[in-house]
Amino acid sequence: MQKKWVVFFGAFWWQGSNESLPSAEVVMFLKFSLRSIFYGAGGGGNDIQWCFSQVKGAVDDDVAEADIISTVEFNHSGELLATGDKGGRVVIFQQEQENKIQSLSRGEYNVYSTFQSHEPEFDYLKSLEIEEKINKIRWLPQKNAAQFLLSTNDKTIKLWKISERDKRPEGYNLKEEDGRYRDPSTVTTLRVPVFRPMDLMVEASPRRIFANAHTYHINSISINSDYETYLSADDLRINLWHLEITDRSFNIVDIKPANMEELTEVITAAEFHPNSCNTFVYSSSKGTIRLCDMRASALCDRHSKLFEEPEDPSNRSFFSEIISSISDVKFSHSGRYMMTRDYLSVKIWDLNMENRPVETYQVHEYLRSKLCSLYENDCIFDKFECCWNGSDSVVMTGSYNNFFRMFDRNTKRDITLEASRENNKPRTVLKPRKVCASGKRKKDEISVDSLDFNKKILHTAWHPKENIIAVATTNNLYIFQDKVN
Amino acid sequence: MEGGDPEPRDPGAAPASSLFNISMVKLHQSLRHVEPNLRHLVLVANTLRRMQDQMQREARGPDSPEAPSVVDSPAPVSDSRDSGLEPCRQPPSDSQGDDLLLSTMDTSISTILEDLGQVEVLSPARPEEEQPLAGASGARQEPARTSAPCLGPLELLSSASYLLEDGLEDIFEDIDTSMYDCDLWSPTSLSGFKAFSGAEDSDSKALAGAEDRLDMSDLDYLMDVLVGGHAL
Repeated sequence: MQKKWVVFFGAFWWQGSNESLPSAEVVMFLKFSLRSIFYGAGGGGNDIQWCFSQVKGAVDDDVAEADIISTVEFNHSGELLATGDKGGRVVIFQQEQENKIQSLSRGEYNVYSTFQSHEPEFDYLKSLEIEEKINKIRWLPQKNAAQFLLSTNDKTIKLWKISERDKRPEGYNLKEEDGRYRDPSTVTTLRVPVFRPMDLMVEASPRRIFANAHTYHINSISINSDYETYLSADDLRINLWHLEITDRSFNIVDIKPANMEELTEVITAAEFHPNSCNTFVYSSSKGTIRLCDMRASALCDRHSKLFEEPEDPSNRSFFSEIISSISDVKFSHSGRYMMTRDYLSVKIWDLNMENRPVETYQVHEYLRSKLCSLYENDCIFDKFECCWNGSDSVVMTGSYNNFFRMFDRNTKRDITLEASRENNKPRTVLKPRKVCASGKRKKDEISVDSLDFNKKILHTAWHPKENIIAVATTNNLYIFQDKVN
Repeated sequence: MEGGDPEPRDPGAAPASSLFNISMVKLHQSLRHVEPNLRHLVLVANTLRRMQDQMQREARGPDSPEAPSVVDSPAPVSDSRDSGLEPCRQPPSDSQGDDLLLSTMDTSISTILEDLGQVEVLSPARPEEEQPLAGASGARQEPARTSAPCLGPLELLSSASYLLEDGLEDIFEDIDTSMYDCDLWSPTSLSGFKAFSGAEDSDSKALAGAEDRLDMSDLDYLMDVLVGGHAL
């Protein structure tokens, strides 16, 4: 309540002391204030108003297992958005290049290419089927007309080339237009075939297949800033590859103990530094992050830095280790910070400080008292991802009940939004959601016990330059944009 | 109180027995897969160990803290098979039962993970190693092992291992063993393979250290032990 009065007072004071009409600055200030009043403490992200833009995927509630989205990634320009699913397919969406001045919203994303990246395989030696589920997709920066991406399942990484074909040769001498061969004796004149425009065709072809290098399940791939090498990480090892060479990779991290019965920790994620081509980090199931320098030694078993926050004794339980297990690690675009996601929180680390994170954001602290049931139904093992916005000022991650959260690092404000088909009118502003942990539930709040733990948002992505986000529910992809005035 | 209820304010006070049961079930389910989710397995195993520590502390109670006699045995797999499935899931009511249960649990967990070590041997082509695995940690002494009487869970869990004693034998079937024919080299003693991997001596260590560990097959290792460790 106090806030309202201060705002209006400020506005009128300004108006009175200068010109008779409110200046542009005053108008902006008023808009800003009104927004804060009506949208309350929410509006994380410099008071961005998030609006529904599009939703992709089947409408029905019956989810086909193969359609479960397993990864989402924008390319470096943000023009392309790739998703991978449990059925081994990759779907790429392309943003329409509209005239942005005249349009009310940014370009829509439409299907650009769909292809089967991985097929289920059978390992005869171990008598088991290798899942075709796409664990990660990473785009290479564009060097020429074609686009390249790496996609991986549990065991094999593939480099795909996606190219456009919009012309085709016509006027062959020996072939008819439909491909049939002409009888050479009927050829009386010769002509030079010419390229004529055709309907755009997008082709995806596998250019490299990097196989047989991982005994355990691959959880991460990361392209180096040298754009020539990349790393792939499984539960116990990290390998370094050259994009051109498929029959060889170098093992750079190996945490497999000599005796497997001593195994207490696995690698959960790994990423190259965005600027230093010799630096990478990997996180563990024990909540530690190790930064390694490849110049130090060929096998980076000894870390250069170890990031770990001491356990809070007051929050100790049987599940302390499980909830400290890091499910995702992402460097900021600047390379100065890195973000980690564990079960209940998101932490921002300054690479220069190892003993604790510089910022910690609670994603769903109300779940702390429910850890026992979440352990029982295995939800406690869910691996949530996290992402930065283009300017590293806001971070986003998913939660349950199709909620996702954003934290503004500057204003320290956060917001909870929901990905649901109920709000699917374009340019509908999303209403902030709130979970009631205990006590009396206010109107519009949701109690913890009503949360649907089967509706989890594990994968989110933020456009590298604009305020466009892609949020994956189980089998649908939602695209939200900020409101464009 | 079952796991479905919200945890009490002090999570440590939640009855370990029901959590223990749930964890054992998870461990078992994990092992049903030929390739278990390693992260899940390790986290559950570590949680079980935590519970074990807790239960040990509770069991000892007012007693002075003694070093837990949690020593594992390479209990020949055949032994464990003989004992039937025992209801070791009952929460122990006396301290002796506790120790039994706890040492069993530790054996079980260790054995599960040890079996996972066999995965690599049969894996397809390995990536080329740039240099020998720098002694991943010099000499690791195995703790002396004694067998645990209550082997119910051990039997349950190790039977789910996809590398059975029989499987091991098949590997050696076509190998000419005439050179090494001795009492040690008989099918029944192969089941004591785990005993060899447990009893480290300086000879075998020296031999092992000289080679790229990751390239060493089980056969080579066994041969080295036999050739180098006559004193066994």
